[in-house]
Amino acid sequence: MRLLLIEDNERFAALLRQGLTGAGFSVDVLTTAQEAKTALEMGRWDVIVLDRGLPDGDGIEVLTEMRGHGDNTPVLILTAHGNLKDRVNGLQSGADDYLVKPFALEELVARLQALLRRPGNLLGLALRLGNLTLDTVARQVFVADRPVPFSAREIAVLEHLLRRSGRVVAKTLLENSLYGPAQEVGSNAVEVHVHRLRRHLVQTGASVQVHTVRGVGYMIGEGT
Amino acid sequence: MFRFRSVVGRAIALHLVAIAVTSICMPLALYLMLKYAAQDLHQNALREQAGELAGLIDRGADGALHVHLTARLADLYSPDYGRYSYAVGDASGRVLLSSFPDGRAITHALPPISQEISFSGRYDGTNIFGISVPTEIAGQKVWIEVSQDLAHRDVLIDDIVADFFFRVGWITAPILLLLLVIDVVIIRRALRPVVAASRLAEQIGPLHTELRLPESGMPREVQPLVRAVNQALDRLEEGFRGQREFTADAAHELRTPLAILRTQIDMIDDGKLAQSLRNDVENMSRLVNQLLEMAELETFVIGGSETADLVAVAAEVAAFLAPIALAQDKRVAMTGARKPVLVPGNPEMLGRAVRNLVENALVHTPARTTVEIEVDPAGAIVVSDRGPGVPAAEREQIFRRFWRRDRRRQGSSGLGLSIVARIAERHAAKISVDNRPGGGAVFILAFPMVLTAPAAVSKPELAPVS
Repeated sequence: MRLLLIEDNERFAALLRQGLTGAGFSVDVLTTAQEAKTALEMGRWDVIVLDRGLPDGDGIEVLTEMRGHGDNTPVLILTAHGNLKDRVNGLQSGADDYLVKPFALEELVARLQALLRRPGNLLGLALRLGNLTLDTVARQVFVADRPVPFSAREIAVLEHLLRRSGRVVAKTLLENSLYGPAQEVGSNAVEVHVHRLRRHLVQTGASVQVHTVRGVGYMIGEGT
Repeated sequence: MFRFRSVVGRAIALHLVAIAVTSICMPLALYLMLKYAAQDLHQNALREQAGELAGLIDRGADGALHVHLTARLADLYSPDYGRYSYAVGDASGRVLLSSFPDGRAITHALPPISQEISFSGRYDGTNIFGISVPTEIAGQKVWIEVSQDLAHRDVLIDDIVADFFFRVGWITAPILLLLLVIDVVIIRRALRPVVAASRLAEQIGPLHTELRLPESGMPREVQPLVRAVNQALDRLEEGFRGQREFTADAAHELRTPLAILRTQIDMIDDGKLAQSLRNDVENMSRLVNQLLEMAELETFVIGGSETADLVAVAAEVAAFLAPIALAQDKRVAMTGARKPVLVPGNPEMLGRAVRNLVENALVHTPARTTVEIEVDPAGAIVVSDRGPGVPAAEREQIFRRFWRRDRRRQGSSGLGLSIVARIAERHAAKISVDNRPGGGAVFILAFPMVLTAPAAVSKPELAPVS
């Protein structure tokens, strides 16, 4: 997986390169906005990690120029500013995700994998967590590489949870994607599906767990 | 002393006083001037008559003085007509000639022989005005008195003088009042730029420090004030910018080294050491974040039209902290209102307040318990935990900066709740803490009002200042 890291702090860049290489990425590092703009006109990467505070300008400029050329490579922005204004600003400029310094390397890797897992992206075909795999094309669940029968609704819920694993998926989002926003949904329809999914996961011996965040939504994580 | 607050008010009041004084004094002065002018005219006419009379007097063969009145003068001085009289006398006071049948002088006083005098008064039942003119006729020094009856002065000028007050004098007041109205209009127009500038000034605040009052079109007397205010605003803006830049720079300068440290720790193979270092970095990061939040709050102001949905704010915080809580074998749950509960405020700041409340609750609640975030439709967010609760004596102190019950305790800076208190204060909201039935603490962030409908997003119209 080719990754372009644009980060001016050489020490940090070196550390990130080491960490990301360990996670299976092949990392190229650039340190200025100008270099990045030139490189992006010539070459292609699977995913880009972009620091906002570059010595010759805001990383957002690189992003805007890229998107202006019709380059849709997923971009994750690193920033020292965590406030909403900056976050909205970054996402509106076409960033796919946003990470505030300092962060866990694990978190960065997870976010990058989530970006690559998006529909249409390289990892979009198979979602993995623990010993669970979901083939999003064949709509087939495997536990420990063994195919297991899950209902269409259960798979739909599972896909949403897996695409945002480690983060909370709002219950309303699940309702809307299962039934469409216009449809009247029984207040506990999603709960019923999640309950069945959870039971099914336990029965099949999957090493994942669906947590309920009461009043908010659900989150999938490793563990039993 | 009474002080005027308005320039126009002051102009009107002082003007009215001036009008009152002027409309009395000016006609009075004019009347007196007219009266003296009329007197002068009469005196001249009488002097001419005296001259004419002198020309008609000569010394007869008998050595006495004789007057040869023309027909017109004879009519004028005839006792039947009665309006004019004359008398001629010598230095000794002897009356030589007189229009009176008894040959007396007009007044009983002896007129001087050397100077002209005028006299007026009541003599023999008539109000008269007259003069006495010294002259010399046929080598003899004489005085000639001529008088007229004031009751029958049939001259136009007297009517004018008499009617002056009724016909002319009253016009002063209306003219002055009209002037006053014109003055008020002039002052109002002159002050119009000041009114416009005031309206602009109302919009100046920490959110719009770039606005300046326009100097052009401003009355010259007000310009120094406008300039001074603009310069004061320049200095304030500079201060605000400095503070904001500091916050932004500090964020970058502090977070990048922390990020390097954190990433380096993630590559340590020794799991136990890595975890302990990771905890230290996390605490350090939280402290840095809170300090930056504190600094940001110093220059933070809520926009007038900003609204926040408490349900959305609470849900976002719950979703953000739920994975962290689960990692500690604790839970976060949201209860209460499901439909939007709108309050005037900044969602980002309120999110920080609620996040700090929930983080605080997660620190104190034991494993396998739940931190509840309840949204009250009446406009409150209630965060409850199952920790030890807060003793009554400490309920004020916990919202102070860097306050900690246990100074040896790691991982809590004592800033979180003071941030909550500060954000609450900026939103005119009330933060309070109570003990929870069954154990634990309840933090209540209560807002003064709830908006019934989503407020229309309206931006203030700003006039750009070049």
